[in-house]
Amino acid sequence: MPKPNHHIFADGELSRNEGTLRIDTLEGKTEYLPIESVDSLYLHGQLDFNTRALGLLNEHNVPLHVFGWKDYYRGTYLPKRGQVSGNTVVEQVRAYDDPARRLRIGQSIIEASIHNMRGNIRYYDGRRGKFSNTVTKLEELKQSVSTTTDINELRSVEGNARKKYYECFDQILRDPFTLTRREYNPPTNEANAGISFLNGMVYTTCVSAIRKTALDPTIGFVHEPGERRFTLSLDIADIFKPILADRLLFRLVNRQQLSINDFEDELNGCLLNENGRMIVLEEFEEMLDETIDHPRLNRKVSFKTLVQTDVYSLKKHILTDEPYHATARWW
Amino acid sequence: MVQYYHVCKRELWFMSRGIDIDRETTNIQRGTHIDDTSYQNARKSFMIDNRIQLDVLDSGDVMEVKVSSTLEKPARMQLLFYLWYLREIHGVERDGVLAYPTERKRESITLDNSATDQVESTVGGILDVVSRDQPPELEKKPYCDSCLYQDLCWM
Ligand code: SF4
Repeated sequence: MPKPNHHIFADGELSRNEGTLRIDTLEGKTEYLPIESVDSLYLHGQLDFNTRALGLLNEHNVPLHVFGWKDYYRGTYLPKRGQVSGNTVVEQVRAYDDPARRLRIGQSIIEASIHNMRGNIRYYDGRRGKFSNTVTKLEELKQSVSTTTDINELRSVEGNARKKYYECFDQILRDPFTLTRREYNPPTNEANAGISFLNGMVYTTCVSAIRKTALDPTIGFVHEPGERRFTLSLDIADIFKPILADRLLFRLVNRQQLSINDFEDELNGCLLNENGRMIVLEEFEEMLDETIDHPRLNRKVSFKTLVQTDVYSLKKHILTDEPYHATARWW
Repeated sequence: MVQYYHVCKRELWFMSRGIDIDRETTNIQRGTHIDDTSYQNARKSFMIDNRIQLDVLDSGDVMEVKVSSTLEKPARMQLLFYLWYLREIHGVERDGVLAYPTERKRESITLDNSATDQVESTVGGILDVVSRDQPPELEKKPYCDSCLYQDLCWM
């Protein structure tokens, strides 16, 4: 079982107290957090922290994901690499730099991503609407991935798939949730806000998983380096968004665990309010611990481990040229 | 290296490339010196050429602790390699003791001609494995479930 993530919602101060993290909230409470039991730390409140606190995270190899006002993702402090492997990074750069190798990795990622979108739509076909056309279309797009000849073409296949996929969301999501169009920066309605928030969580989950390998998070294969975020995490997140973010949103909305009242309109945007974020985060963390049978590993693995093994598979591919098995839903 | 060669050549290849894996996994690392506490009194550890660590008993025999019954051959080969190394590189002839701490048993090991052949073919085999561009092919081993590399290896 991987270690759990820890989320801090309070405002206050984060400091080091010998071998533990100490949190002093503005309300005057003090808490101690045993750092050994934390996989990744998430700050959702306004917290001051210093280099000594960061040093402790560093020693225990704990990434710190910082969210700012209204839980907009601000960035990640990555611990210094525990195990340096120059070889891995060299091979990663080589794979990125070789158009054929790069395309092959990109194709695996997008194939899995479309496969996972299709899985969601197929699940709801007949339950929430008639989606057989979309299922067929997604299957065709997935097939066409292998004939793409460069990354731009691959990206446009991915874009088409995502468009078809999002078109079904209005029907899948129980009224009054509608997606209309996928929009972010800022999200324009509740469904967009929910997706953006969850995608952010999937992204940080991937950042943490990549950190456990010697792979360089800034060198992605589908996304261009130089984007503001870690492009390798964006790549891996594309595989897992349908599995971890969208599926959870459907579930939360359709079981009415999340209502329209859990959102608030802000300066021409829409965001989850505090209550909404708590619900979503709690359910997200719970889902990361859910397990499924893994046929290749012959044991049960959690969704969090699944993200980790995907990254291992990529790493192994980069180092050995054995096939990369991007996670395509089999259950 | 010698033990890994006889346990799993694929694992040896991964090791030789310094491939790291998350050390927090529940899988237990199969240590070569798992039983550091047994026979503490009667043995001394020596580091030779900054490369190999030998446990030498008061009798002068070199000792290797056998970790589990599935790993008898790897442990035996490791020990034979030490004896061979001492003889070939340092001109010191010694005998060995393979120790079974859980069973409170010991077995004497001698570097005879056939053992010498085995060691030499092992050394050649190791060089062959680590110089390949790709790891040896994947194949299920009894050790896979406790192997540190499992999540990388099978994915
Ligand atoms: S998982 Fe099995 S095949 Fe792979 S390195 Fe370990 S022992 Fe060898």
